[in-house]
Amino acid sequence: MAVTRDEVLEKIRDELESIKVPNAREATPDNTWSDLDVDSLDLVELVKALEDEFAITISDDDLKPIESVGAAIDLTMRLVEEGAPA
Amino acid sequence: MTPRASTHPGENIEIAITGRGVVSSIAEGPDAFFDALLDRQSGIVDGGAPCSEFDPETAMTAKAARRSDRYTQLAVCAAAQATAEAGLPGDVDVERLAVLVGTGVGGLKTLEDECRKFIDGGVRAVSPLFVPMMMPNAAAGMIAIELGAHGPGFSVSSACATGSHAIGEAKRMIERGEADVVVAGGTEAAMTPLCMAAFERMGALSRQGISRPFDKRRDGFVMGEGAGVLVLERADFARERGAKIYGYVVGYGASNDAFHMTQPDESGRGAAKAMRAALADAGAEPSDVGYINAHGTSTPYNDRIETLAIHHVFNGGSPPVSSTKSAIGHLLGAAGAVEAVAVLGALARGILPPTLNFGEPDPDCDLDYVPDGPREAPGLELAMSNSFGFGGQNACLAFRKA
Repeated sequence: MAVTRDEVLEKIRDELESIKVPNAREATPDNTWSDLDVDSLDLVELVKALEDEFAITISDDDLKPIESVGAAIDLTMRLVEEGAPA
Repeated sequence: MTPRASTHPGENIEIAITGRGVVSSIAEGPDAFFDALLDRQSGIVDGGAPCSEFDPETAMTAKAARRSDRYTQLAVCAAAQATAEAGLPGDVDVERLAVLVGTGVGGLKTLEDECRKFIDGGVRAVSPLFVPMMMPNAAAGMIAIELGAHGPGFSVSSACATGSHAIGEAKRMIERGEADVVVAGGTEAAMTPLCMAAFERMGALSRQGISRPFDKRRDGFVMGEGAGVLVLERADFARERGAKIYGYVVGYGASNDAFHMTQPDESGRGAAKAMRAALADAGAEPSDVGYINAHGTSTPYNDRIETLAIHHVFNGGSPPVSSTKSAIGHLLGAAGAVEAVAVLGALARGILPPTLNFGEPDPDCDLDYVPDGPREAPGLELAMSNSFGFGGQNACLAFRKA
């Protein structure tokens, strides 16, 4: 499954919007969770949305260093790639 | 009124109400609510009294509202009214600002939704927000967050007596010196399919869908939803900061029936004990009381036994009694707090709100229920409010005119 960075960003914006994060549609890869006022409970919902959308599994260890939208995109891209058939 | 020695420590501390908030099926806001009661408006539609026009985002961000069960949303909106009226936090020391807001059953809608998701989809389907939305202290917690209140905070729960217990315990908290100002009240949003089914199976709901307290034809209560919140504070403190005083909480009495989980004690002794304790706490005599806001649920049991208990306490000299539940149904954990706002309205304006739908007298309910009200009561100085909960837990509050 080929996924573009823009597609992942759009999915992140969709989920942030659905959990009522203010200005979700303007979120950029540079934004940290702290910029967006996204907390640990929001992240649980975001992770589930990304897992469901891209058929990946994000472990707690994977998630720990992820502090920005850009880092979440990178992680998602990597996991999608790792899961793709050779 | 001949004051006599109060039975409670902290007796010399006068406790004022400086803020009031209500969300109900007939109105939002304390003055609009009391006007609607005087206007004999009813919020009951098809056997229920939902807050159909309620919009949580008038008082919360979209994100906070999404993270809150409806019972918390209702409470936050009522608290926003009350704290705005009281000018909180203002100059109040937030370290001594407490929140004591209870619920009878907590976040039932959330519980039902998440149970369904869990059964259908397993662990991954369960929302991480489930616990903080469902837990019965969520409303008190959210109000404290919105207000930045760092004093004590928790929820009390005594089913349909919750709102009165919360206000009474807030009074005690101030008397004990643990807080200067307490945001106190009750909230409920239990009109969910499961809860309605349970009350129906119990035989507690009116099959006719009519709330007619003390009427011979009454056949159960009508479920409502809403929230009531008061700001209680030391009166000297309120005067010093120039806060407007809407009345005083002067008495609180509580008791257990210790009889049955859902039926009141036939003798009325538990209810009578709570009323007597509230009078003693107020340093008042029965003859000082000019109005009683009844628990008055419209169930065959409650209204008969409450009448009997009032007879025990007032010994033939009962003041007029009316039931707010005739207009807005039974708000369970919110009832006592919303009804406290009605009592404060009666005291402030010298007018008694009516009991609606009363047409056929019951020989077992032989008091003056103000069926023809509203009624002028120009000399009204002291009024009481009764709340009796499943579990046999009773609370009675006494309020004095400002």
